[in-house]
Amino acid sequence: MDTIPSPLRPFCVVRDRVPADMTARVTARFDVNGFEPVPSDAAPPWADALLVERADRDCLREAFHRNPFLTVELGEGGDEPAALMEDWSGAPAVEPGFYLSLTTGTAYGLQCAVLVCDELARRGALSADHRANVEMCLHEAIANAIVHGNLGISSAAKNQPDGYRVFGQLLRDRLGDPAIKRRRIDIFCRWNATTIAIAVVDQGGGFDSGATSPASDGKARSGRGFVFMRALASRVAVTDGGRCTVLHFDV
Amino acid sequence: MEFRSRVEQDTVEVQLSGRLEFTDHDRLRDIVELLDGNGLRRFVLNLSALDFIDSAGLGMLLILQEEAEQRNIKLVVSGPRGDVKRSIDLAKINEIVTIEQ
Repeated sequence: MDTIPSPLRPFCVVRDRVPADMTARVTARFDVNGFEPVPSDAAPPWADALLVERADRDCLREAFHRNPFLTVELGEGGDEPAALMEDWSGAPAVEPGFYLSLTTGTAYGLQCAVLVCDELARRGALSADHRANVEMCLHEAIANAIVHGNLGISSAAKNQPDGYRVFGQLLRDRLGDPAIKRRRIDIFCRWNATTIAIAVVDQGGGFDSGATSPASDGKARSGRGFVFMRALASRVAVTDGGRCTVLHFDV
Repeated sequence: MEFRSRVEQDTVEVQLSGRLEFTDHDRLRDIVELLDGNGLRRFVLNLSALDFIDSAGLGMLLILQEEAEQRNIKLVVSGPRGDVKRSIDLAKINEIVTIEQ
């Protein structure tokens, strides 16, 4: 008789899975200075990872409650070996911290910022006083990563006659492309007594972060996301050619 | 985001609830269609039940403002509160759109 596999599949990437070149790349990407790395031979339970099939909000909350460092949604039709070859495994484990990797198809509409802020609060990193700022900035970073990063849709699409219809059609078209839907949104959170740092990483074409306007034109239909992030976060850094936005909050 | 509309004489009031964000572009199209009612002079977006708005949602308010202007209809945003009001203030939307508390 067939058995139904558990949607949560634990494995450990820290002990023996993360290639050295990947670790070096993501260390440069995330700037983990000030955060204690976990020795690769220690492999405490929280450094284990969970693979999630068909991630939804309840499934991800259940995964988080097992306190993994990595929570990774498998791509459609993916299996564990395939998942390990994908470009999700972004962060050297830090304590305290966690890393969530989702496909774009799942991240769109999941309200990831709410989910991640709930988890930050559950792990004692985020107080109610700071929640609104962190959630807004994280939401904007994730929205940029999904729409402009992985879906590759420029804000310029909105700035034409009937632009919102064009923009909506582009969203539907890109979300209907299996290859695009599989692109990953990775969210890496770590914190210490004085700072919460959150990195949002996409697999899109990147952008010139210097070209983002410091203050949005009042009538512009787009461009306020970075205005919000710069106003509400303590520091905002864009690395990896525009594919990684790192938000720092002094708490 | 969910919405419901109510027509009274030359006014349409649209009450938004939930979260207005970047995934709501399709619903924006439905709201724009409400501007095409006969004899409409005033279009009220009631945000008192809206819990969250992001930068894309604020852009949608501006699109609705432009669409209303093109039809010679007065658009008013009413009742923003909490985080929604904060975002509207931060983006200085009140310099472009009429906001009524």
